[in-house]
Amino acid sequence: MALKYNDIKPLLHSERHSSKWVGIIGLTIGLVLLLLAVQMFTNIQSLLREEAPKQARAFDYLSVSKSITNENMGKDNSFTPNDLALLNQEPQITQVAPVNSNQFRAMATAGDVLPFSTDLFLESVNSTFLDRLPTNFDWHPGQSEVPIIFSSDFLEMYNVFAPSQGLPQVSAKTISSVNIFLQCSGVRGTHNFKASIVGLSDRINSILVPENFLKWGNAQLAGDTSPRISRIIIKVKDANDPELLHFLDENNFHINKDKVRFGRIKGVLQSTVGALGVFGLLVVLLALILFAFYLQLTISNSRDNIHLLLLIGYSPGWLAKSFTFSYFPLYVTITFISLIIVSVIQFILSTMEFTHTALSPYLSVPAWVTVGVLIFLILYLNTRMVRKEILKLT
Amino acid sequence: MELTINNVRPQYIADTGHSEIWGRTLSMMSPHHLHVVAPSGSGKTSFIHFVYGIRTDYSGTILIDGKDISKMGFEEKALLRQKRISIIFQDLKLFPGQSALDNIEIKRKLSPFHDRDAIAKMATRLGIADKLSQKTVTCSYGEQQRIAIIRALMQPFELLLLDEPFSHLDEDNRMKAMELIYEECEKRKAMMLLADLKKLSFLESEKSLRL
Repeated sequence: MALKYNDIKPLLHSERHSSKWVGIIGLTIGLVLLLLAVQMFTNIQSLLREEAPKQARAFDYLSVSKSITNENMGKDNSFTPNDLALLNQEPQITQVAPVNSNQFRAMATAGDVLPFSTDLFLESVNSTFLDRLPTNFDWHPGQSEVPIIFSSDFLEMYNVFAPSQGLPQVSAKTISSVNIFLQCSGVRGTHNFKASIVGLSDRINSILVPENFLKWGNAQLAGDTSPRISRIIIKVKDANDPELLHFLDENNFHINKDKVRFGRIKGVLQSTVGALGVFGLLVVLLALILFAFYLQLTISNSRDNIHLLLLIGYSPGWLAKSFTFSYFPLYVTITFISLIIVSVIQFILSTMEFTHTALSPYLSVPAWVTVGVLIFLILYLNTRMVRKEILKLT
Repeated sequence: MELTINNVRPQYIADTGHSEIWGRTLSMMSPHHLHVVAPSGSGKTSFIHFVYGIRTDYSGTILIDGKDISKMGFEEKALLRQKRISIIFQDLKLFPGQSALDNIEIKRKLSPFHDRDAIAKMATRLGIADKLSQKTVTCSYGEQQRIAIIRALMQPFELLLLDEPFSHLDEDNRMKAMELIYEECEKRKAMMLLADLKKLSFLESEKSLRL
């Protein structure tokens, strides 16, 4: 017949002390706050995933430039090798690609179809960073035709102002058939090319030419072989990662605010929920201290009986474990009540309109894990504390 | 079991005089019986407590099967008290708020040697059957002594320690108790170490040492 705690229970005087009830109420409130914080944290993640621009790709690409302030205005704000190394070291950044720009003058005319001429800025970037890579986006010295990738935003802007300037609007398909005459000139001479738009990019707001062409132009026309890097494209797992945004801000790197708007909201929300979690944890800790005080009081009141039990052969380990685990149903009840409260709140939230039904009506895995870890910790720490108290009586 | 008492002297007694135990080496094996005789204040209870491992204020060593009892851990000592050594304390150490039956059951359930029915049978033999449901605090000292005896006999043991176990029993009840204790020791082939003020008449044939 196995020995049961109930056999010795009458020998341990559980006092009806107020610290027990304060501990129970405190533990319930603390656990609710802690679980709410964990659940809200998960909710924010899933809500922002839903709200953020839908992107089929696994990575986000951000254009990074140096912030221009009154202090650094007029100075060289190009990226240095140290800046590149710093960006490369950041764990949130998967890959870094410098964007090179033309050091020679480029002027474009569109012939008779679009009667305009304009100075252009040309840029090039590693082709693996392009969202669409047309097969003919390549150039070799001697080639008279230069392929261009044009920003979708620029086309949209052109179509907005074109009617007011008496120019025809152009569709994405038509633009590829427009013949562009590109005149490139520098200190070392002038070259004329034919250019055509071979693709549009949603990712990079620029006029992109093949890297080979820009290298050739900068060297042959401008005599410059070490081009200035004024901006950089970074490939990241999550553009809304608050840690990434913090890193970029801290190092005075500028990015498009709209692309990371959700990241900034997320940062603020996470801080708020984090504060709630810390508060909940503190309440839980306080309640546990009260509970420990109550257990110590019970042991102290039963010291004669416990001493006698030890004398007749009861094991201190068994006594500590049995005594602590006798409160297990109480912990389970507290946890159960807390889970019900947080589950009801989560269910109500999931049915609310502003969540766009993006939230699960059930508690998240981290919330369950928190409950499990907390119960384990309570039992483990209490058993240790009770055993220590009991050993004092041997 | 082998019990070895090796040059043991209590730290609080300066002169152990002509003691046949203090400062001597003696060894006991199951199923030997030893009767320790000494007047009040000469350290009988201390000696029993040293052997039971609840006091360590002595020099020398007490070995159980070659292992120093003062160096055993809490759990090891607990196991020893559950399975191998039983004791009848001089001050009985009963739970005063519990009934006689509960006091005995608390020990029996820890490491049962007998079933529950044995309690009533032993209580009947010792004349306290009608006291089993009574709180021990309301029992006379003699009755409490018999409750403590039955409690000590509920577990398995290889060594039974008795510290003036019959001090409040009349001759008739002493005999009954002693017979029961002998029978139980016999069943277990156990050693018995009994400490008392003077040599008891029914222990004339037993080996006795002066403390």
